[in-house]
Amino acid sequence: MTDELENQLRRALRPVEAPEGFTERLMSRLPVAPAALYTSAPVVVALPVPARRKPRNFALPAALAASLVAAVMLGQHMAYEIETGRQQRELAEGRAASRELMEALRVTSQKLDMAYQAVNSPSRPAAPGEEENPS
Amino acid sequence: MKVLMTAFVFALALSAPAITQAQTRSANPAPLRGQLLLPDFASLSDKASEVVNVTLDQRLLSMGCRFLNVEDPDQAEFKKVCTGLRGIFVRHFTFDKDFAYPKADIDSVRRQLNGPGWSQMVNVRSNKENTNVDVYVLIDGEKAQGLSIIASQPREFTIVNVVGTIDLEQLHDLKNFGVPDLELEKKDAPKKK
Amino acid sequence: MNPAPSMPDSLLTQARAGDTDAFAALVRAHQGSVFSIGLRMLNRRDAAEDLAQDVFLQLYRRLADIESQEHLGFWLRRVASNLAIDWLRRLPYTSTQPLDDDMQVASPENPQDPLMDRELARLMNELSPPARAVMLLRYQEDRDLAEIGATLDMPVNTVKSHIKRSLTALRARMIGARLVDCEPRE
Repeated sequence: MTDELENQLRRALRPVEAPEGFTERLMSRLPVAPAALYTSAPVVVALPVPARRKPRNFALPAALAASLVAAVMLGQHMAYEIETGRQQRELAEGRAASRELMEALRVTSQKLDMAYQAVNSPSRPAAPGEEENPS
Repeated sequence: MKVLMTAFVFALALSAPAITQAQTRSANPAPLRGQLLLPDFASLSDKASEVVNVTLDQRLLSMGCRFLNVEDPDQAEFKKVCTGLRGIFVRHFTFDKDFAYPKADIDSVRRQLNGPGWSQMVNVRSNKENTNVDVYVLIDGEKAQGLSIIASQPREFTIVNVVGTIDLEQLHDLKNFGVPDLELEKKDAPKKK
Repeated sequence: MNPAPSMPDSLLTQARAGDTDAFAALVRAHQGSVFSIGLRMLNRRDAAEDLAQDVFLQLYRRLADIESQEHLGFWLRRVASNLAIDWLRRLPYTSTQPLDDDMQVASPENPQDPLMDRELARLMNELSPPARAVMLLRYQEDRDLAEIGATLDMPVNTVKSHIKRSLTALRARMIGARLVDCEPRE
C-alpha cells in the first residue's frame, strides 16, 4: 500500500514546465554588470584623472577624494564580510546550542524519571522527607 | 604619492567605526541566581567512556531555544520546556570501571545546595544498586526557579543545574521524546546524477 | 520531464566568466525543477514564477560559489525550498487555496489515474510547509534522505518522521476520500 502510494506520489509530483518565456524574462532582469563582477575578488576602483590647468594645486583634494571613496568602499566591503561571517557563526552556534539544549533536557528528564520511579516504587529505599538526614 | 598615502590612511581611519560596529560581541554574562559552581571535571574526560558536558548560559540558551523547530513535533516539546529557562548546565560521565570518579567533587556541589533557597525534594538511596539520586528545587515565592539533580551510580554520575522557571511535569515528560527510527532508509530511491 | 539533464561543468565555467548565453542554458536546464518546487509549495503560478526568478537572480550573484553541476542542483533546490518555506511564513499564500487548473496536468505515462494524481497533489497542500518541502524533495526531485536533510537543515531522522507522518496522513485522507482501493486495477 505504501509502495503504491509512493509510486502514485512520484507520478503526481512530476516536475512541470516553467511558463513560456521564463528564461527570457529572467535574462532581461539580470543586472547590467556581468556575473564575473560578483565574484569575491577584490574590488578595484579606477577613477579618471581630471585634467587640470594647475595640477599641483588640486592634487591634494583629488587624491583625498579618491582615497576617501576607495577607503569607504573598502570599509563597507570589510564590514559586510565581517557581518556575513558573524551571521554564519551565529547560525552554527545556534544549531549547536539547540542540539546541546535537547541533550541536556533529555539527560535531566531521564534523571528525574529515575527519581520518580524510585519514589513511586513499592519497595523504595527512601522517599522525600523520609530520609534521616540528607547530607 | 606621500600625499596620497596620507589621505588614504586618514580615510581608512574614518571608515573604522563601520568595521568595529560589525564586530560588537556580548560581554561575559554574570552568574545567574541559582547557578551552581560546577567543578571542571576535565581530568575525567579521558577516563570516561561517555561524556555529556553542556553549559548554556542565558544567551546560548535563548539562541538554542530559538533554533528549535516548532514544526517538528519532538523539538516543539523541547521548545515548550525551554521557554522559561535562563541557564542549563549538565555534567554527565559514564565509566567502564566502578567509582572511577572523585566523590569529593560531587560533595562540593552538594554543599552548595545546602545554601538558602534550595530545598531537597527527593532523596533516593539504594544500597542494593548503589544508586543515589538527589533532587533539589530553588523556590522563589511559590515558583520553582531552579532545579538541581545529583545522581550517581557505580559507573556513572550526573549533575544537572537548571536555572529559570521550571515545570517539572513537563520536564519529566520529555523522557518520552526522542527521535524515532522509522526505518525508511531501506526504501531509498536511487540518487539522480 | 527530467529536472536537470546532465550538463558539462564547462557551461558553469563560462557562465561564471560572464557568458550570459551559458547562464541562460543553465537556467533552462533547471527552471522546471525550481518552478515546480515553487508551484507546489505556494500553489500559485504567479508566486511560483516570482520565486523561481528570485532564485535564479540569487544564483547569478552567487555563481562564483558554485563548484559543479551537482552542487548547482543542490544549491537551487536548497534555496528554492527554503525561500518557499520563508515566503509561506511571511506572505498570505495560504495552503488551502485551490490549485491552478493548468498545474493539474494528467500524466501521459499514467493516463488512467488523473483523478488520484490531482487528489494527491491537492492533499499535499494540507501538509505543513516543511513537511511539504520534504515530500517534494523526496518524490518530485527523487532525493535521498541525507540530501533532503542537508537541503532543509534537518536531521535525517526528522526527515524520516516527516515522510512517515505525511504518508500516513495522505493515506488516511485518500481512504477517507475513497480514492484508495476503490478502483479495480488492470
